Amino acid sequence: MRYSLRDALRKYRWQFSGMVAWTIQRVTGLLLLAYLFLHVHTVSRLSQGPAAFDRAMATFHSAFFKLLEIGLLGVVVLHASNGIRITLVDLGIGVGRQRHLFWIVTVGAGLLVFLAGAIPLFLFAIGKAG
Amino acid sequence: MMSRNALEWYFQRITGALLLVLLAAHFWVEHFMTAPLRRGDLTFAVIASRISNPAWQAIDIAFLIVALFHGLSGLRNIILDYGRLGKRAAGAMTAALISIGAVWAWWGIAAFRRL
Repeated sequence: MRYSLRDALRKYRWQFSGMVAWTIQRVTGLLLLAYLFLHVHTVSRLSQGPAAFDRAMATFHSAFFKLLEIGLLGVVVLHASNGIRITLVDLGIGVGRQRHLFWIVTVGAGLLVFLAGAIPLFLFAIGKAG
Repeated sequence: MMSRNALEWYFQRITGALLLVLLAAHFWVEHFMTAPLRRGDLTFAVIASRISNPAWQAIDIAFLIVALFHGLSGLRNIILDYGRLGKRAAGAMTAALISIGAVWAWWGIAAFRRL
């Protein structure tokens, strides 16, 4: 059987997105675990009373933290949409079309959900909505 | 009887699906639901009034435990994937992660004690 350059490229491309998807899940997972630590750290200030908690929360009103918040949404959505793709493949859905599933579910659906959250968050942050 | 690995795989998918629902709800409740939240005014008073409802307390505590399980189990998978740990070291690592998870969960749950 002839093994054309096209086949080689197709194989390479799938392995490429497979490897990227695998790395995405690990890196975003570790980031989210680190975030959960910081999040519980902030929430734990609730036990120090209203003044201490509201002072801690005031830090997050800066433009820098609003931007980080949108970034966090991106990391969450990427991990979730890629996780859905992994679960679908594990269930036998889309087997043989993994690369399509990567672009449609992980990238496509992920981007839509991210924008649906990020655009309102951005508009709230600059005071144009809410 | 499912093998241990299959069970772990299963739990990771179940907790993942749960987190999808809980996280979407969390995002809505903390960022979108009311006008002060949309301005980013998530104050002690706002949280205290929500947490005074025992159902919300239960949901938030369950949310934290599910997230910790999913996150620490994922971390364990990453560590095991490197394949450097022997059987005893892997067991010790699992025990350490379970202890970290228990302390972490208590750290979060204790935050509600003055609300």
